[in-house]
Amino acid sequence: MCETCGCGNPADIKIDGQSHSHGHDHDHDHDHHHDHHHDHDHDHPHPHVHPPGKMVSLNLDILSENNRLAERNRGYFEAKKILCLNLVSSPGSGKTTILEKTINFLASSRKMAVIEGDQQTSTDADRIRKTGAPAIQVNTGSGCHLDARMINLALEKLNPADRSILFIENVGNLVCPAMFDLGEKKRVVVISMTEGDDKPLKYPYMFQSSNLCLINKTDLLPYVDFSVEGVMQHARQLNADLEFITFSAKTGEGMSSWFDWIVRQES
Amino acid sequence: MHELSLAAEVIRLAEKEAAGNGASVIREITIEIGALSGVETDSFQFGLELLVKGTILEQSALDLVRIPGRGRCNGCNREFEMEDRLSACPFCGSLPSLITGGQEFRVISMIVE
Repeated sequence: MCETCGCGNPADIKIDGQSHSHGHDHDHDHDHHHDHHHDHDHDHPHPHVHPPGKMVSLNLDILSENNRLAERNRGYFEAKKILCLNLVSSPGSGKTTILEKTINFLASSRKMAVIEGDQQTSTDADRIRKTGAPAIQVNTGSGCHLDARMINLALEKLNPADRSILFIENVGNLVCPAMFDLGEKKRVVVISMTEGDDKPLKYPYMFQSSNLCLINKTDLLPYVDFSVEGVMQHARQLNADLEFITFSAKTGEGMSSWFDWIVRQES
Repeated sequence: MHELSLAAEVIRLAEKEAAGNGASVIREITIEIGALSGVETDSFQFGLELLVKGTILEQSALDLVRIPGRGRCNGCNREFEMEDRLSACPFCGSLPSLITGGQEFRVISMIVE
């Protein structure tokens, strides 16, 4: 059973269009039912009858394998002095446009590479490659997030340069990617004017686990009911340390603060 | 729906630990889910039911232990139970608080043969 994808089938995951298969066959016939669980609330110690057998104590964090691989990625980045940033948001917030503009601006002074995560298509990696930066597309198939193993596999192919900046554009989803450390130095959450300023309250995990919040599409501000102050206030109720940068990736207005922020993270 | 991949990870851990303990059957698995862990209990159970067929957990009972959320107020430093990540301090109304418990998502134990 593969822990990286939604349906349990690793052949579902594609890196630049190629399946990553580590060979385990199983059918997807899920139409069975068995009521073997009992979901009662109870405090430790819990007074129900356990079946006979040998008790094995484990105390294992279920995310421990992902976290172990994330630490391995982190060690790889530190050894190669690569700055890795994980961009997360809902679909359509402008992540790919932000990356295109960022790469164009920093290209004269920095080497950059991108890992693109989407369920399907290589559209985003194709857009990034047009800027001249190397990009690799991870298609998660039915999966809803990138995990540390996918980054591990993508790095083998991408082989980013020493002292470069690696951007990871996560699958557009404000829920699931929050739980999965990829080994990044900083997590950057993007929100745009069309999404509503109450998003931090609706998706608290993502805003709590991020270091920087980019508020994008300020060019639309005259046309939408969105309060920049409101989104900041809501997010600060969850994460007092969250930083904010407001800009329009379309017009470029305000983006210099974001470029400066990136450069500051390198030290 | 990250719960499905988490359910798959539980099966992988159970298979690995059963093999390490020379067990061929798992009678029961006890899993702790914190109220602030980011794991929806119902979705996780549903995911596990879908995926256990043909695995060592197929006949196993699932014992889910729920851990309440706990926080310490950044304002008055008192501890309180947090229902969700946006729970304000019941004593002074401050936000945000430091989460001190309820983020667990762990396999606690298994009963094997």
